[in-house]
Amino acid sequence: MSETPTWLRILSRSGAALLGGYAFSYASTACLARILPLSPADAVIVATLPAFVFYTLAILWAFASRDALRAWAPLALAVPLALIGFWPQALRWLA
Amino acid sequence: MKNTFTQSMAWLHTWAGLIFGWLLFAIFVTGTLAVFDKELSHWMQPEIPASTVSQADVAKRAISYLQQHQANAGNWGISLPTERSPGLSVSTGDRRHGVVVPLDPNSGEPLAVRDSVGGNFFFRFHFTLDLPRNWGIFVVGALALVMLAGLISGIVIHKKIFKEFFTFRPDKGQRSWLDFHNASAVLLLPFHLMITYTGLVIFMMIYIPAGVDAVFEGDSRAYFQAQGNARVEQPRRLAKTPADLVELAPLLAQAEARLGPIGSIGIRNPNTAAALIEVRPVLGNRIALTKGNAMVFDGVSGRLLSDVPELRPAPLTQRVMAGLHFAQFGGYPMRWLYFICGLISCAMIASGLVLFCVKRGRKYAPADSRADAAARRWYRVAEVCNVGFISGLMVACVGLLWASRLLPAELAQREAWEVRAFFGLWLLALLHAGVRPAKQAWVEQLALCAVLCGGLGVLGIFAGGVDHLRLGVEVTGLVLGIGLALAAWRVACPKPAVVKPRAARTMEAKA
Repeated sequence: MSETPTWLRILSRSGAALLGGYAFSYASTACLARILPLSPADAVIVATLPAFVFYTLAILWAFASRDALRAWAPLALAVPLALIGFWPQALRWLA
Repeated sequence: MKNTFTQSMAWLHTWAGLIFGWLLFAIFVTGTLAVFDKELSHWMQPEIPASTVSQADVAKRAISYLQQHQANAGNWGISLPTERSPGLSVSTGDRRHGVVVPLDPNSGEPLAVRDSVGGNFFFRFHFTLDLPRNWGIFVVGALALVMLAGLISGIVIHKKIFKEFFTFRPDKGQRSWLDFHNASAVLLLPFHLMITYTGLVIFMMIYIPAGVDAVFEGDSRAYFQAQGNARVEQPRRLAKTPADLVELAPLLAQAEARLGPIGSIGIRNPNTAAALIEVRPVLGNRIALTKGNAMVFDGVSGRLLSDVPELRPAPLTQRVMAGLHFAQFGGYPMRWLYFICGLISCAMIASGLVLFCVKRGRKYAPADSRADAAARRWYRVAEVCNVGFISGLMVACVGLLWASRLLPAELAQREAWEVRAFFGLWLLALLHAGVRPAKQAWVEQLALCAVLCGGLGVLGIFAGGVDHLRLGVEVTGLVLGIGLALAAWRVACPKPAVVKPRAARTMEAKA
């Protein structure tokens, strides 16, 4: 921890906040739009409305988490969420 | 970043607030001004007369002008006088490449009106920062997220939220700035959160197209069709058959009874059998944003072809959130409420920026301070940017109003010159802040801004064309000018700040 220069640590956290946060909110929106029991047109809107809550939480998480690696957790979490959101596309891609 | 949750939130709040606060201030100021965009446009074009003619008569005059001069155009647009903007104009061609002709509502003759960006400049700058393409939309969106993160982290680090709700200790230097920052933030916290979040919702499908990507395979046309936003079309061959246009007045009356005050009319394929008449309400007949809503009539028979849609709960929620941001509902009382809340938001952001420098002033500002040279240089950058982005931006905004009145009316590309005046003044203000000591720079720019605001009325006297809307702009300018003059005076002769050792206990915004 003490060897890494400050600017690098700030850069990593900012990257986690910006990119990890975007990936997280994008994936959770896709996931919600897929699983909400609504018509597709409504599900897209209802899923997108809270997207910025997810983003904000991810930003705060990136700067609040104890160690630098855990700051990137939203990015990791985005993978399974995106898989749920895009599972038909994923299956087609695998086939 | 730091040891405890509160400390890392304080770090985030301080630094994100400083670096992004300057542009956030510009977005909030222009957004606040955009609440009165139509009124400012009217003020910036003093040639437009007040009119008392009914909309039906005005529409008739507009149609007779178009019949005379543009009988063969494929599209007509008529922008009717409304409560907020008494001007009448007609246009032909599509929205991007159309030609707009202002008319005198009283006579129906063309009116020589100076070109001006109008209050619309503030509206556009508010969400694009005048950047090309839609880069600005993304930059402003990112800034809005920073604002949200700043608000939440601000709540976290502000432990004594209810006690300090009622605390204001004036004339105590840093402590007063902190109290003001806290009070203005907490008092209007619902407004700050609402205005920031709903701003993001307006462009949410551009920012996070995940839903369309996942469920509609990225096909946004399919998404819009699923929303039921289909356009009424007439068979194309009918556009070749000449036919007389139906009388507008009964259609306007019918639409007004259904929609409330009418803002504009669009006529597709006029004087043919395919003619379609779209009647659009002014924004703000209801909370939900009604942009794009119209009643469509057959242009020959006058039959109603398509009514405004009844929205399902989900799109209605989105529209209501957008409408809460656009602040078009509720008439002038609501507009003033938004304006005053916006001013307080601006003051909250500005006080946070000033607080950053006030806290560090004793350490870095004196030339003999022991802080190292690099830190002192960065402190100076923050100081200069504070002046240039706070008072400098305000000078630029009111300077745009002056430019609209002072630039010669026949100047070629007049609108571009107005925008150049805005950015030129802003740049000059930044340079001025760079060469003057911070305190003098604050005083001089605030005083200049006060004079420019207060002087709007003087411009009004010379130009004539006084009506209640323009007078409202000038009186508001005078009141704001007095406020700015007081601010300048307070900076020029501050009461001695009592520094007590107690101040060291302030943990709230410790960086």
